[in-house]
Amino acid sequence: MKRVEVKLSLPVVAPLLDVIRELSFELEKILAAPQALHDLDQEFRGAWIGELLEGQNEDLRALLALFDGDFFAEGVVAFDENNAEPIVRACTAFRLHLRERRLKTLSDEALETGDIDMEGLDEPVRKAFMCYLFLATVQELIIQHLDSSIIGS
Amino acid sequence: MPEYRSHTRTESRPSTELQLEGAWRVVVLNDPVNLMSYVVMVFRKVLGFDETKARKHMLEVHEQGRSVVWTGVRETAEAHVFSLQQWHLTAVLEPDETR
Repeated sequence: MKRVEVKLSLPVVAPLLDVIRELSFELEKILAAPQALHDLDQEFRGAWIGELLEGQNEDLRALLALFDGDFFAEGVVAFDENNAEPIVRACTAFRLHLRERRLKTLSDEALETGDIDMEGLDEPVRKAFMCYLFLATVQELIIQHLDSSIIGS
Repeated sequence: MPEYRSHTRTESRPSTELQLEGAWRVVVLNDPVNLMSYVVMVFRKVLGFDETKARKHMLEVHEQGRSVVWTGVRETAEAHVFSLQQWHLTAVLEPDETR
């Protein structure tokens, strides 16, 4: 099984985990990407959203599980074909929610290009933006190294 | 196939009958968050596209705001929309009125 281990900087990443944990509470009962489901009847729509939400919560738990006691001891996280897929999805869920709830003051263009003056941001927005970038990096890393595992599963 | 398919869909049909017959489109809409590499990967994973086709549709979404990624019977279209939404892409069902 292909496995990727990444050594992270604890002083940089640990503060971002507070943001990620807050986001996971906020996302317990709402979808990160609200969907237009006009063409479904009401009962079916409820079941549909319920299953999306259940899957989303499982994915968020998989990402949070990376940052356990071992991470705080060694600063290492590991991705393999078992956790890659839920973690990639969880990164997207968190990033969508960050944009919606924490980064509204930044334009979509700025978010896309990353061309932002970090020094000019308020502390909560700066932390949220760093979290947004961190999650994108995790996604890129997994897609780059484990893409074939994800596609094949 | 996602578990949601097992839910009964006919018991509480609203007074306006939903159109289930005919061809349906699966349309993916642009969002400013998802990485291009992520969208390509999802298209390959969910729709079975090869890299070239996945990139073509990803660029269509990025540049034109939307891309029709699949057309066919309602039930399969719903399954694709559900899977794409599991990956947090904004995907909608549309009746294909060209047929």
